[in-house]
Amino acid sequence: MRDALFMGRLTAHATHEMQNILATIRESSGLMEDLLAMGGENFAHAERFKRGLGVLSEQVERGMQLSEQLNYCAHSPEPSPTGCEVNDALRALVGLFRRTAARFRVSLSLAPGRTGLRTSLRAVEVMDLAGLAVDCALPLLPRDAQLTLSVEEQGGLAVARVGSPAFEALRRQPEYADLAACAKTLGVGLCPGPNGEGIVLSLPKAQA
Amino acid sequence: MNTKDWKILLVDDEHEFITTLAERLELRGIGARVVFDGESALLAVAEDEPHVMILDVLMPGIKGLEVLERVKRTNPNVQVLLLTGHGSTRDGIEGMRLGAFDYMMKPLNIDTLIEKMESAIDYASKAAKLGQ
Repeated sequence: MRDALFMGRLTAHATHEMQNILATIRESSGLMEDLLAMGGENFAHAERFKRGLGVLSEQVERGMQLSEQLNYCAHSPEPSPTGCEVNDALRALVGLFRRTAARFRVSLSLAPGRTGLRTSLRAVEVMDLAGLAVDCALPLLPRDAQLTLSVEEQGGLAVARVGSPAFEALRRQPEYADLAACAKTLGVGLCPGPNGEGIVLSLPKAQA
Repeated sequence: MNTKDWKILLVDDEHEFITTLAERLELRGIGARVVFDGESALLAVAEDEPHVMILDVLMPGIKGLEVLERVKRTNPNVQVLLLTGHGSTRDGIEGMRLGAFDYMMKPLNIDTLIEKMESAIDYASKAAKLGQ
């Protein structure tokens, strides 16, 4: 726990620095755009230059999203008396796991669903559980498949669902034992999704 | 008030970032003075009161929120826009409680920044009229 909090502090410092770097890149490319707009029509490579600036702008945006998700992770081991918002935790996980999913040629997404549902778990615990469920699913999915995570409310509890494949196949994955042990320790229910597809994690309710 | 009459003070220890921002504002006809730490910001305010101060929250030495508090005590008409990061959004909210006009997250969108500066200047001139 102490290690995780310390790593979190280091990561939070790093994301702050990343943000300063991205802000400087954005201002510098913005200045180039301004100068180009003020007389760049005489510049032989104006169009290519503009394209380059467009790429810079997109990459800054990408870096911003990444830094935001990483900053969320940095604070995720911190305990909170009100627990954590499940959708926020899954959004950060999906953002940071996209690269892992891409290695399996699977596209990972979070369904637009229920927000505001809280659990007593720390965000890092929700991310760990959902991450293990994703690890079970990825090797089983065909190329170009879509794996969707979602959050729902069932009987007053927040439920995180990893959409596919069949639960029985997921149970045979080597990562499942880890997931089951972790769920047991944290008091999280683990069961198949509707029609035996996917994994449903029933998370403990946050204190009111 | 015309933008060329605006008096803007930019405060951030990220030299490249803040000087480039000043340059971009200048291209839009908005002059801005730049300082790189809290101590210099307090001196700059005492020397020539700006209409708007753009102030980074996390700086070495005197922190942004302390600069804000001290400026609001000595020069309450100065409108302060705080610059925050992911980790300092709470500081932005705390800054509003201490009298900041608004806060923005880095990286900035220059058009949004100028809109906020304009709103801050409008607010200050309306408040000044009401106070007369």
